[in-house]
Amino acid sequence: MKNIICFLLFFGSILSWGQEKFTVSGIISEAATGETLIGVNVLIPSLQTGTITNEYGYYSITLPEGEYEFYISNVGFVTQQFTVQLDKNLKKDISLTEDTQQLNEVVIKADIEKLNIRKPQMSVNTLSINTIKKIPVVLGETDVIKSITLLPGVTNAGEGASGFNVRGGAADQNLILLDEATLYNSSHLFGFFSVFNPDAIKDVTLYKGGIPARYGGRVSSVLDIYQKDGNKKQLRAQGGIGAVASRLLLEGPIKKDTASFLIGGRSSYAHLFLPLLDNDNVAYFYDLNTKLSYNLNKNNRLYLSGYFGRDVFTIADSFSNSFGNSTFNLRWNHLFSDKLFSNLSLIYTDYFYGLELSFVEFDFDSGITNFNLKYDFTHFLSDNVELRYGLNSIYYKFNPGDINPTTPTSGINPFKLTDKYAFENAAYLDTEFELSEKIAVQAGLRISTFNRLGQDELNIYENNNPLLFNQDLEIYQKATPIDTVSFKKSETMKSFANLEPRFAISYQLNDDASIKASYNRTAQYIHLISNTTSPTPFDIYAPSGKYIEPQVADQVAVGYFKRFENYSLEVESFYKKVQNRLDYVDDADLIANNAVEQILLSGEARAYGLEVLFRKTEGKLQGWVAYTLSRSEQRTPGRTPLETGINNGAWYNSPWDKTHDISITGQYELSNKWSFSANFIYQTGQPTTFPNGQYEYNNVVVPVYEARNSSRLPDFHHLDIAATWTPKPNSTKRWKSEWVFSIYNVYNRMNAASISFRENTDVNRNEAVRLSIFGIIPSVTYNFKF
Amino acid sequence: MKKYVLLVVCFLFVFTSCEEAIDVDLNDSEPRLVVEGSFNVSEIGEQTQARVELSLTKPFFNNQDTFVNNAEVIVIDEDGVITELDLFQNGIYNAPLIINPEKEYTLQINYNGELYTATEQFKPVVSLEFVEQDDNGGFDNESIELKAFFTDPAQEENFYLFQGSSDKGFMVDTFNDEFFNGNQIFGFYFVEDLEPGDEVLFSLYGVDEQFYNFMFTLLQQSSDQSDGPFETQPATVRGNIVNQTNPENFPLGYFRISQISTLQYTIE
Repeated sequence: MKNIICFLLFFGSILSWGQEKFTVSGIISEAATGETLIGVNVLIPSLQTGTITNEYGYYSITLPEGEYEFYISNVGFVTQQFTVQLDKNLKKDISLTEDTQQLNEVVIKADIEKLNIRKPQMSVNTLSINTIKKIPVVLGETDVIKSITLLPGVTNAGEGASGFNVRGGAADQNLILLDEATLYNSSHLFGFFSVFNPDAIKDVTLYKGGIPARYGGRVSSVLDIYQKDGNKKQLRAQGGIGAVASRLLLEGPIKKDTASFLIGGRSSYAHLFLPLLDNDNVAYFYDLNTKLSYNLNKNNRLYLSGYFGRDVFTIADSFSNSFGNSTFNLRWNHLFSDKLFSNLSLIYTDYFYGLELSFVEFDFDSGITNFNLKYDFTHFLSDNVELRYGLNSIYYKFNPGDINPTTPTSGINPFKLTDKYAFENAAYLDTEFELSEKIAVQAGLRISTFNRLGQDELNIYENNNPLLFNQDLEIYQKATPIDTVSFKKSETMKSFANLEPRFAISYQLNDDASIKASYNRTAQYIHLISNTTSPTPFDIYAPSGKYIEPQVADQVAVGYFKRFENYSLEVESFYKKVQNRLDYVDDADLIANNAVEQILLSGEARAYGLEVLFRKTEGKLQGWVAYTLSRSEQRTPGRTPLETGINNGAWYNSPWDKTHDISITGQYELSNKWSFSANFIYQTGQPTTFPNGQYEYNNVVVPVYEARNSSRLPDFHHLDIAATWTPKPNSTKRWKSEWVFSIYNVYNRMNAASISFRENTDVNRNEAVRLSIFGIIPSVTYNFKF
Repeated sequence: MKKYVLLVVCFLFVFTSCEEAIDVDLNDSEPRLVVEGSFNVSEIGEQTQARVELSLTKPFFNNQDTFVNNAEVIVIDEDGVITELDLFQNGIYNAPLIINPEKEYTLQINYNGELYTATEQFKPVVSLEFVEQDDNGGFDNESIELKAFFTDPAQEENFYLFQGSSDKGFMVDTFNDEFFNGNQIFGFYFVEDLEPGDEVLFSLYGVDEQFYNFMFTLLQQSSDQSDGPFETQPATVRGNIVNQTNPENFPLGYFRISQISTLQYTIE
C-alpha cells in the first residue's frame, strides 16, 4: 500500500508541473553542544531524494505540497525521523544526539549510501575527526595530514618532510583552507606535526579531483578544514598530555544557544627540559585556535576566527629561527530566503619566516600577506537542482626578504629584496542537477584573473630573456639586466586570465553501484620557489608576472563506486597534466635571490594512476585498504633546439613519485574499555639521484651524478599499533579520560629518509650514509574532557 | 648563506635521527677528463707557477689514483705566445709564467686525440688583514673558531674563493659580495680539535661569477649539509673547459687565473 502511495506521489510530482512547491530548511546541530554539523543527510525516502547540510550546517530542500517522512542521519548520531505536512514553507532546525550505543540502522544507511553513489562528486574523501583520532601516529599525536596520507592518491615526501602530495602534484599545489583562510605552511617542526589542533577541528574534506568551481588558486587539490564553533550549551574543556606536546581547549556559551567561544592552545615542551641537560639548543612550536560565533537571528550568523602558530628554534647562541601562519577572519552567514544561503568572508592571512644569525650578525625576514574577500551563494532551486555562485578577491603582498645587520659592527649591509604585489579575482558558477533518474551532473565554470601590480625596480633584459644559455659549456647563465623600471602600485604590470571549466557526471548502474567521470581545469598564479625535495619553511612564494607564467592543470578521472553490505569499494583512475611548472637551473641559489627569473625555466608535469579504496564502515572492526599505482613525472626541455633544458629535456620522476602505495588501517572495538588500532604502510622508495663517479677538485671530493631521479631509495614500510583504554566508560561524572598507548614502527624498520654520499675523512674513503628518522617509538598520551 | 640556513634546518634531524653507513650498488659512468688549472699570482708582474692537474673520473667507491700523465698541456696568451707545461709528477703539469693582468690566456690540452680548451683572464683580490680567535665557538661553545678578515672593495662586484688549512683539516668556501659590498668581512675556519700552537694557513683568491657559481654548486653537492628532504636536486657540475673535438665527451673541472693573498696564523 505504502509503495503505491509512493509511486503515486512520485508520478504526481512529475505530472503536476504547476503544482505548488514548498521549502523545508534549517540548521542541523549537535544536541549536546549546539555545534553545527556538516554533511548531514536529509532524506525523503518516499521521493528517493535528499540533500546534505552545507559547511555551515544549513540545509534547504524544496518539494511539492504533500506529507513526507524525513530521515535525518549522520554517522555517529542517532537518526531522527519525523513527518512533515508540507503546505507552506517550513523552518526546521534539528539537533541530533550522539549515538553511543552504535545502533545499526541499516535501512537508512542504505539510503545515505545511495545518495553518495548517485552524487556526481568524485575523488573526494571526508574524514571525521573521530576517525582521525583513532589512527596511531608517531609520538601519539593525532595528525590530520598523516591521516590523509593513508588515503589513496596521497603521499608525502617521507618522515620528517613537510607538506603532502596529491595525485602526483607538488606540495605547493594544494589549497589548504582552515575556516576558509589559506594556510601557506601545513607543518610544525618540519613535518613532524601538522598545524591543525585535532581538538579544534570539526571536519576535514580532501578534493583530489573533480574540484568544484568554488575552489581555485591551486592546481592539485583542496584540503578544506572547518574548526568547531564552540559549545553553545555549556562550558567544556578537553585536552591531552603527550610525550612531545600537550593541548588544552576550552569552549562554551557566551549567551546560551546564541553565542559561543572556543579557544585552544597547543605546545611542545621538550625544550623545557633541555637546559637541565646543559643543552643550549631549543626547538618548539605552539599554536592557538580561537573562534567566536554569534547567532544574530534566524537569518544571520557571525563567526570570528583566528589561528596563530609559530615554530621557534635556536642553536646555541648562533641561530634563532621563527616561522608560522597567522589567520584572522570574519564571516557572515545570511539567508536571503530559505532557498538562498550566503556567506561573506573577510580573511587576512600572513605567513612569516624570520631568521637571526647572530654569529654573522644579521637577521632575515620574509613572508606573504594576503587579504581575501569571498562572497559565496548557495541557491537551492529544487530538490534536485542546486546552484552555487560567488566572487573572490585576493590582494597579495610578497616580502621575498629583508636583511638587516643586528650589530653596529656587522659586516652585512641592509638589503631589501623588492616587495611584490598582486591582485587575484575570480567569479564562479557551479550547478548540480539530475539529468535523469540515473544521471546526475555537476557543471561549473570559474573565471580567474591575476593582475601583477606595480613594484620598484623590475628588471628588464635584452630580448626579455633573463636566462642565457652558454652553448659551448652547455650551461645556463644569468643575464645582466639592461635596465630597471619602477611602476606605481596601482598600475598593472602584467595580467592573466583563465577559464576553468569543472565537470562531473555520474551514472547509476543500480541501487548500489555507479560510474562517475570528471574533468577539471585549475589555474595557479603563485609559485613556491623551492628546489629541495620537500618544501622548507624559508621557501618564498613568487607571483606570476612578466617572467613567470601561471600554472594550469587539466585533470580527467573516471571511477567505479560500489556498495556492499557494510563495505564500500571505490576505484578511480586519473590523468593530470600541468603546464608551466617551474624548474631550476642546476646551480640555482634561491636564498635571498632578488631576481629568481634568472634561474628559472618553465616545464611541464604529468601524473597518472589507479586508486582503489576498500572500506569497512560498520561493526566492531572498521577501517580501509588503500592501494595506489601511479607515476608522477616532470620535464623541462630547452627553449630552443640548441638548449639542453634540465636533465637534457627528458622526463624524470618527481621526488614524490611512488609506484606502489599501500595503506591498511583498522580499528577494533573490543569492549567499551578497550579499543585497538593498527596501520601498515608500504611505499615504493622515493626517487633520488645517485653518483655514478667521482673526482677531486681543489681538495674536495666531487660526485658525478647520473640522470635526475633515476635511482630509488629502498622501499618504505612500517607497522604501527595503538590501544586506547577508557578506565570508566560508563562514569556519569563530567570528567572523562582515556589513555592512548601507541607504538610507531613496531618492527623497527630503518626507513631511509635519504641516502647521502660523502668522504669519510677518518679512513679517506667514500661511503653511502643512510639517514633514518624514526625507529621504533613507543608513546603514551593521556586525553581528558570535562 | 644558504649553508647556514640549511644547517639550521638540519639541526632537528641531527637531534632525532640516526645515520648509518650502508652498502649501495651504484652505476659507473664512462671516465671523463678532470682538469684543475689554477694559476695563482701573489704579486702582479712576478713569476708564477702555471700549474694544471689532470686526472680521470673514477667509480664512486674506488680509491685508486687515475692521474693522466700522457697529455700535452700548453698555455697560449692572446698574442700567440706559447708556454709548454711539463709533466712534473702524478698528473701535475707546470711551468714558470709571468701573467699579464690585461691579457687573456688559453689553456689547451691534447689528450687521447681530443682537444680541450678554456680561456680566462686574471682576477685580482684584496689582502687578508688579520685573524680573530674565538675560544667559545662551536655548538658546545668550547671549540676554537677563527675568522680571517678582509675588506671588500665597494666599486665593483667581487667574488672570492677562501681556504683555511692546517694539520687538523681543510676548509674551503666561496663568497660573492652581494650582502657585504664595501665592508670588512671574514672567512670562517672551524675544524674539530684545534689547539693552541696549531698553524693555520689562510688563502683568499680573486675569482669571477662563473667560477663562484661552479664552486658554490660543487661545495653544496660535496658537503654533508645536503642531507634529507631539504636536499637540492643534484646534477653533474659543468666547468669552463670545452672538448673541441667531441663536445659530448665534456671534461670536468675548471681553469682560473687568480690573485692570491695568504695569511699564516698560529693559534694562541
